[in-house]
Parts: sequence; structure tokens; C-alpha cells
Amino acid sequence: MNPLVIYLLLLKASLTSFSGLGSLPMIRNDFVIERHVLTDRQVNMAVVAGRTGPGPFGLYLVVIGYQVDGIPGGIAEFLALITPAFLVLPMMHWLGKRADNPRIRGAIRGLLLGSAGLLAAASVPLSRDAITGKLSLAIMVASFALLSFTKLESAWLMVGAAAIGLAAKLF
Amino acid sequence: MAVLGRELADRLGWITPEDYALAFAIARVTPGTNIIAFCAAVGWQVLRFTGALAAVLALTAPTAVLSVFILKLLESGSEHPFLMGAIAATVAAVSGMMWSIVWMLVGPHFKGINKSSRAVIIAGGSFVASWMFNITPVPILGIATLIGVLWQDPPPPKKDDAGA
Repeated sequence: MNPLVIYLLLLKASLTSFSGLGSLPMIRNDFVIERHVLTDRQVNMAVVAGRTGPGPFGLYLVVIGYQVDGIPGGIAEFLALITPAFLVLPMMHWLGKRADNPRIRGAIRGLLLGSAGLLAAASVPLSRDAITGKLSLAIMVASFALLSFTKLESAWLMVGAAAIGLAAKLF
Repeated sequence: MAVLGRELADRLGWITPEDYALAFAIARVTPGTNIIAFCAAVGWQVLRFTGALAAVLALTAPTAVLSVFILKLLESGSEHPFLMGAIAATVAAVSGMMWSIVWMLVGPHFKGINKSSRAVIIAGGSFVASWMFNITPVPILGIATLIGVLWQDPPPPKKDDAGA
């Protein structure tokens, strides 16, 4: 794929999300469903790689770009990841205290809730791909509970899950 | 963001608490990853565009390279049965993480009938539109945003001065 196309697709995903994994439905739609350049398993692997290391949630986008087109794709995705952040500069200048405007807050609330619904829809096939037996189902449920109701850092969860998976193969 | 605020405003004094609050608020309404926008905003407050660029690159560039190395590491061992077991378990954990993020986004909106109804209609409607009708994300998010603008919280009840 042309790196410029990758950049534009990722920029679209970044611009329409307000959280790290909020771009996931758009990514899956563009790269898995419409263009068939990635599989659900590869998207899952990108999220794993992005979350295992330190840094912001959205880093999985760089891994997606790398999977699609190697280093040029990774660079395109990196630029798409950081481009929206610079929108903050004119917004700092012009928006100022309007960030508390009820209509702007309402728009963001609607966007967040819409993103949640889309993320749920994208998570169904990814979960089907991830759950291959009772152990993986138990890990998924435990992961949901630990991240939703405790302050556990997600990187530790990845490490713990990997250790359980390794132990299951050993014993 | 809280850690950065304590470091930059309280300890180093590079920005004021008001600067921090403004950067935090604007970063929340900036599309993309909020923490990156927050770092750009704080960098801009300290050293204008140079500061913003330095802050964003410092946050993202090393960790982006590390993520690709982690992917290569995972792929290189994907034929090994032990590593396959570890990867499969990690992928399952990521799946749970995705559902926890859905809950994190929706959960705080379940307060009272009005807010809960709005959350169910917007999030549930987006899910159904995408999952059952295969509508692409952009129009779904556009409609969700419009509903969010139009469906405001009711004003708080006025206090009766007479106490009646």
C-alpha cells in the first residue's frame, strides 16, 4: 500500500477518536474488512505489541502501519498518530475557556459513546479470534474484571497472561 | 497527565496550575490520543512550537520503535509452541482489555434515567448500526455527535428561596 494512503487512513482513524483504542473500529473497517491487507489476528498482535511496552495507548497504530508496509508504513502511521496532537496548538489559542461549553461537551460525550458502541462491535470478531478454549476465555474474563475494577497496569496483565499461557504449555 | 502536572507545575514551576488546567481541558477535546495532545500543549506553553515538537517526539518516538521490536520478537517466536501459548494467552488478555475500555467509556454515563437512556441509545445504536447493518464508522460517529449536542442534561432544579 502507498504510505500516503496509509497515513490518510490512519489520520482519519485518529481524528475520529478520543482515546487510544477508540480508533480500532475504523482501523478494522479500513484494513481488515475493506482492503483485506490485515487479518483480525494481526490487529490483535498489533494491540499486544503496542500495550506490552511503555507509552501511550495509540502506539498500536505504528505497529499496524509496520505490518501493512514495513518501515515506510510504520513512519506513516507514526506521523498520523502525532498529527492530531498539534491541533491542540490553535485550539489553545482560540478555544480557551470554551472547552467547558455545554454543546462542545455534549458533542464529545456523543462521540465517546458512539466510539464505545463501535469498539464493542469491533471487539466481537477480535474476541472470537482470541478465544480458542476454556483457558483463553477465563483469561479474557479475568482481564476484563481486573482492568475494569482495579488499578492494575495493563502491561502487568500482559506479562501475567503470557506467564499463564507459558505455564499451561509446560504442564 | 497527573504525574506530569505535579512535576511541571508543582516541582519545577515551568507552568502555572492554570496553564496545566487549560492544557488538560483542551487535550480532552482534541481528537486522537489525549496524552500526546496534552504533552504538545504543555510543551507549547513552555517553549512554543519547539517545546511542543520535543514533548511529542520524546513521548512517542522511542516507545513506537520499541513496539515494533516487540512485534518482531513475537513474530520470530510464533512457531515455538511455548511462545505460541504465551502469545495466545496475551491476545485473550487484550480481548478482555478491549471490553474493559468499552465499559470505561460507557460506565460513567449510567447515572439516572436521562443519562442512562442517552448512553444506551447512542452506544447501543452505534453497536447495532455497525454490527448488524455494517454501516461505516464515520456516519455513525457523526450521528452520535449530533445526538450528544442535542440531548443535553436537564438543568438542575431551582432552589425555592421561600423554602416552600
